[in-house]
Amino acid sequence: MNQSKIFHYFDHNATTPVCREVFEAMPDFAQAWGNPSSIHWGGRQPKNILRDARKAVAEAVGASPLEIIFTSGGSEANNTVIKGLFDYYQTAQFLTAEQRLRTHYMCSAVEHPSVIKTMQHLKSLGARVDFIPVNRRGEIDLEFYQAHLSEETALVSVMLANNETGTLFPIKELAEKAHQKGALFHTDAVQGFGKVPVNLHDLGVDFASFSGHKFNSLKGSGFLYSKKGSNFSSLIHGGGQERHRRGGTENTLGIGCLGVVAKRVALIPQKMQEMETLRDEMEKQILAEIPDVLVTAAESPRLPNTSSLVIKGADGETMLMSLDIKGYAVSTGAACSSGNPEPSPVLLSMGLSREEAQNSLRISIGWETTREEIRGFVETLKVVVNRLRSLKNDEGDSCHV
Amino acid sequence: MSKGRVLVAMSGGVDSSAAAALLVEQGYEVIGATMQVWDYSSCDIEEGNGTCCSSIDVDDARAVADRLGIPFYVLNCEAKFRAAVIDPFLKAYLEGSTPLPCVNCNTYLKFDHLVRKMKELECDYLATGHYAKIVYDDNGKASIHTSTDDWKDQTYFLFTIDPELVPKLLFPVGDMKKPEVRAYSESRGLVTARKKDSQGICFVGNQGYQNFIKGQVDASILATKKGLLKRYPQGEVMASHDGIHNFTIGQSKGLGMDHHEKLFVIKIDAKDNAVWVGDEKYLYASEVDVVEPRLLGKVQDGETMNVKIRYQHKGSLAQVFKTESGFKLKFQEPQRAVTPGQAAVFYRDKELVGGGWIIL
Repeated sequence: MNQSKIFHYFDHNATTPVCREVFEAMPDFAQAWGNPSSIHWGGRQPKNILRDARKAVAEAVGASPLEIIFTSGGSEANNTVIKGLFDYYQTAQFLTAEQRLRTHYMCSAVEHPSVIKTMQHLKSLGARVDFIPVNRRGEIDLEFYQAHLSEETALVSVMLANNETGTLFPIKELAEKAHQKGALFHTDAVQGFGKVPVNLHDLGVDFASFSGHKFNSLKGSGFLYSKKGSNFSSLIHGGGQERHRRGGTENTLGIGCLGVVAKRVALIPQKMQEMETLRDEMEKQILAEIPDVLVTAAESPRLPNTSSLVIKGADGETMLMSLDIKGYAVSTGAACSSGNPEPSPVLLSMGLSREEAQNSLRISIGWETTREEIRGFVETLKVVVNRLRSLKNDEGDSCHV
Repeated sequence: MSKGRVLVAMSGGVDSSAAAALLVEQGYEVIGATMQVWDYSSCDIEEGNGTCCSSIDVDDARAVADRLGIPFYVLNCEAKFRAAVIDPFLKAYLEGSTPLPCVNCNTYLKFDHLVRKMKELECDYLATGHYAKIVYDDNGKASIHTSTDDWKDQTYFLFTIDPELVPKLLFPVGDMKKPEVRAYSESRGLVTARKKDSQGICFVGNQGYQNFIKGQVDASILATKKGLLKRYPQGEVMASHDGIHNFTIGQSKGLGMDHHEKLFVIKIDAKDNAVWVGDEKYLYASEVDVVEPRLLGKVQDGETMNVKIRYQHKGSLAQVFKTESGFKLKFQEPQRAVTPGQAAVFYRDKELVGGGWIIL
């Protein structure tokens, strides 16, 4: 109805706009309709698309093409590693005695649900699972980690960057510690891809998950990095696609587009700085102009685009709606939990109170965000917060959204 | 130029869908909201797992909002709904009365929680799909009047509304008849145009309220509600019954006994779980006590007003006298099956004046 309304997107950790390069490349990928597995002429073009994309993606993350397994996205990649390794250690015929003992799994307490819930699933299947605490400064509990790592640990999974607070975890250090005990290490790198440079070789991880739509590409496409020599059982059994690691005719459109965005990683260092400058300016303005605001985990290294705020006395969901009506898209937690009245489990496990978690707002800017947009956003937020706070003072508490 | 911003409560039914569409056409800036009040996944045959907006009604409301191009939000009110509507509903049946959950839903959710949302979202008005009218008198004072469609009129459920809220309310379908609402919705291509009217109580569905209670209350508690069917007024024992929650005043079917005359439930006594049955003539009463009164307008002591004692009642004239805890109603004609737990709602001609809860 409101044709004049201008929309501002501050929710890039939920998903990102599809970039021009992808739009331009899509028709060619879509027209290559043949099955990449076909030996005849119809398979050649799609096969080329897969090969080019695999090469581009591998280069973008510091891996070799043979280490890339295309998936439907980050959740599938996470499921594949965790369930696949568990299954492998349960069923593979040629395991060493030492490998058979590895029934212990670990992940941080603030992982994406596709890791947390998969770990809980392993637990129900008999695995021992520990969740490594993270404090409200964003620091992972290294003492806990060290104390629980053992020769029985099969896999450790810690995300590169947290989706809600932007916290960057010390993956290299964590992976080294895992390797000292002979455990494998996985990082869910979904939130890092496109926001910070990712070099898997430097990080020294065994597995890493990536998603296309968090980096200006299409939903339904992503990839798993599996270091040469790493074994796991397939999640999806089928034809021999992806070197028998992932059955199903390849999503040539999505994969082709992944290859396109992968070529944009060269821009990341510059974009990173631009975003960080804007994000820091925004936080400075908010803290100066709106009283009683805390930035969650500002003390730790963070993604350059993410800001998680606790705005006392203002309900997160209501702020979200009020901002939405004015054209600003933000988030209160993980987008997949919207409609769920429970406050963000990530924030709760970091030690925020229920009230603080319910008063939280996540702002995640993108490559195209401008200083003017930030300024307008802060002004609007100020109005919304003042309004909600004054209403809250007028009345008692009502049922929670 | 917008006529103001409206929060419209969209249930996913045809009436509130039409209400939203009418407001858009009338030039308001409209925001749609559905209160997720109950996890329908347990009673829907369709998929729908977990807590996340699985109800088809929410989807329908969202589809209408999308069609109209308005923002739409799902407000989770399950906890509040349970506390304010479901729990009192169960308690009433276990205490031998017949509850009216729609009034509680209006009192504590639609015209409380949504009012709060209306303010928070800087809306000027709150609209619903109720069949009721807001009428302004010559002094600009707003009051609630019965709808054009007599058969659908829902003002009976609105007597607890805070009078100060009335000028902020909009009932866009209140001056339409139901077939017009359907035709209008059809003409606007709303997916809800041909949707069947919800029957009875939304959270009970088709299973019947007895089955709903069975599913919600521990069997050991229900077992303590067993008792005897007694003949009114002498008290001879006719049979035993499985619980007072299975009965309502005026009921004549499903009494669980074989008797040559047609008998009716006259009285339910929660103290000894006795359900009194008797001849129809005993169902009639001329005096009714109501408590916890809520008034939208002024009532003269002893004033004769039209009073409805249940939703489908067309209303009867009664004198309304103030008492310590509410009102005593003296009907000109004896009324059939006056039922504790239902509301008595007063009207001055078409104006909703107030009401209260019927007690034994």
